[in-house]
Amino acid sequence: MFDGLKDKLDSFREDAEAAAEEAADEESASDGSDERERPDRPEPVDDQTEAEADPDTDEDGSTVGRLTRAKAYATGRIVIEEEDLETPLWDLEMALVESDVEMGVAETILDRVREELVGETRKQVDTTAGLVREALREALVEVISVGQFDFDEAVVEAESPVTIVFTGVNGVGKTTTIAKLGRYFEERGLSVVIANGDTYRAGANEQIREHADALGLKLISHEQGGDPAAVVYDAVEYAEANDVDVVLGDTAGRLHTSDDLMEQLSKIDRVVDPDMTLFVDEAVAGQDAVRRAEEFDDAAAVDGAVLTKADADSQGGAAISVAQVTGKPILFLGTGQGYDDLRRFDPEALVADLLDE
Amino acid sequence: MVLDDLGSSLRGTLDDLRGKSRVSEEDVKNIVREIQRSLLQADVAVDLVTDLSDAIERRALEEEAPSGTSARDHVLRIVYEEMVDLIGDSTEIPLEPQTIMLAGLQGSGKTTTAAKMAWWFSKKGLRPAVIQTDTFRPGAYDQAAQMCERAEVAFYGDPDEDDPVQIARDGLAATEDAEVHIVDTAGRHALEDDLIDEIEEIERAVSPDRSLLVMDAAIGQGAREQSREFDDAVGVGGVVVTKLDGTAKGGGALTAVDQTDSSIAFLGTGETVQDVERFEPSGFVSRLLGMGDLQQLAERVERAMAETDEAEDDWDPEDLLEGQFTLRDMRKQMQAMDRMGPLDQVMDMIPGLGGGMMDQLPDDAMDVTQERLRSFEVVMDSMTDGELENPRVVGKERTVRIARGAGVDESVVRELLEQHRMMERTLKQFQGMGDGDLQRMMRKMGDQGGGMGGAGPFG
Repeated sequence: MFDGLKDKLDSFREDAEAAAEEAADEESASDGSDERERPDRPEPVDDQTEAEADPDTDEDGSTVGRLTRAKAYATGRIVIEEEDLETPLWDLEMALVESDVEMGVAETILDRVREELVGETRKQVDTTAGLVREALREALVEVISVGQFDFDEAVVEAESPVTIVFTGVNGVGKTTTIAKLGRYFEERGLSVVIANGDTYRAGANEQIREHADALGLKLISHEQGGDPAAVVYDAVEYAEANDVDVVLGDTAGRLHTSDDLMEQLSKIDRVVDPDMTLFVDEAVAGQDAVRRAEEFDDAAAVDGAVLTKADADSQGGAAISVAQVTGKPILFLGTGQGYDDLRRFDPEALVADLLDE
Repeated sequence: MVLDDLGSSLRGTLDDLRGKSRVSEEDVKNIVREIQRSLLQADVAVDLVTDLSDAIERRALEEEAPSGTSARDHVLRIVYEEMVDLIGDSTEIPLEPQTIMLAGLQGSGKTTTAAKMAWWFSKKGLRPAVIQTDTFRPGAYDQAAQMCERAEVAFYGDPDEDDPVQIARDGLAATEDAEVHIVDTAGRHALEDDLIDEIEEIERAVSPDRSLLVMDAAIGQGAREQSREFDDAVGVGGVVVTKLDGTAKGGGALTAVDQTDSSIAFLGTGETVQDVERFEPSGFVSRLLGMGDLQQLAERVERAMAETDEAEDDWDPEDLLEGQFTLRDMRKQMQAMDRMGPLDQVMDMIPGLGGGMMDQLPDDAMDVTQERLRSFEVVMDSMTDGELENPRVVGKERTVRIARGAGVDESVVRELLEQHRMMERTLKQFQGMGDGDLQRMMRKMGDQGGGMGGAGPFG
């Protein structure tokens, strides 16, 4: 995962550096005063209303005041201007979209990078590379590491039993994720009971029963067609009576366009009032990931997300988009079909990895 | 429904052209830009988007609009043609004995698709059987068995055998008398070498006439890699796009079609076994552009009517145009509509009602309607045969009785009677009309629907 994005970020950095260097060369060739002034902060950049970079429009007129440039040059510095970056920024946007970063989120990242870079001065001896890297890092950290919290600690510290309900569309891997997390908690010395709140899908009971048997976990389930809220509620009661630490509540996959089923999800949320709701989506999802994350968050407020099938995906954009849009962290990545194929999501390591640090 | 958002901003840009007879370079640039955005937001691969928009831009500037054609229609036609060209025709699925193997990522909807396709073949008069070879995912066997029961089609699976290749072989033998064999496989992804080897083995064992790649409409840019690897492994002969009843646009399918040099075969549009449609390029693009799609509506209506006929031989929708319109007729009509699927899906296919018009309706308008239909059913259950045949006999006293029997408010009973009177009045106007009149009227209705439906270039 993320290899594709990494390659593209690398090439953006090279392009942006080249573009800035080129501009710098022109600058030093054309102007040559030698006033001495104190290196002030550059003047604020003109407000850019046009957020999208268009490589075709070649507008005249500088985005940075002449005075700033003069000052900067005088102090042996060079100012990066917006038009120097248009083409690399456009390419960056395409690269992000190509990595499945949702378009709105890609624009947020772009705005951040632009804000960081444009009007920035650097000493002629500095490398532009450092600036570009820093700008990218700032932008990425800001969108990727949204709302991270210590999940393990949150679970341990909450009053037991801790109830966690899993939501998401069909086929993203909610049940498999629950099985993996069942093992995750048991390994950390917490007892677990699973509630099969998917009373709809054919084969759902059989699927979760096999997982529970394989992992030696207690399963609470009702007949197909039963009330999902009641199943989870029963599991919580069971946990209370038997001193179980964690209740993992499955729900039927549903598309966010079904008002009835989303209403049912809200009902489960109201009746069960879980300590945590985790939204499960797949890493291979494209632009739609954001939309459904929002809709699920509306129906039953989400505390974090799990991205599955990360091993099938080399883009990684969905992870970035979902966190940014819900304001809630990505907590885990599903990386395979085995019970141990679950990884904590570490945004800082990811950004470092993306930027080759 | 599905592809509507995609259409709306594009439609806005195209509407700016209304009344113009020539398009300027600027107009074309704006449109191409909107198309690019729309397609990227629909998960179409970036390079495909570039190719497509280049072609549209070139043609829109070079080609003269034929006389009498507005600039808007001219550009729209180019957009439409290029899109259809890219998507291609639907995969040819001959109605004859054959073996089809399904492949795809975990959770893309292969098992559901297998049952849906079996149902589809059975409606076409062939005897299908589904062979479930997924020995990995817990519950896969039970899910497939239950889905096939709902679809009323033959099923083979063996929960005690753990070699999928053996199950595939046994399954073909055990379902020998079936005409169409649909082989379902375990979910896997392109980077799992051992699983890719396994599906190659299954493929050799069943030697399918075609292998279909089942793909979630929400898949992102990874569609390219996945479809390339599956194509290399088993040769993808067509694509099935699932979960199109969500908001995902299904642009990944275009990438898959381009990558595997195949086409789209089926669309999955819901969780029940009937929620399957044959892919139809003009319809797909029409929906993509936020236009109504009469052809698919017609297909659904036809299918729903055929089913109603099966259930009740003595009822013929044509009777509506002659003689009495009773409450019984109204119920049949409601049931037929119910079978066509959720009302909003049906509405979306009607020219003039899809796209723009749906945007203006409050979100829950369709739900209310469906709920109302359901409560009408309950009311009718509490009526006598005489009342159903001749609702005029229902006065105040009977209304009270019916309401009490149905456990609803009296106003619901009155609403039902009012609805019936309205429908009866409408039908009276149809009665006595010749076919030509009817067509003229439909055309007129199409024209009023924003001018995009019947009179547009794709009518």
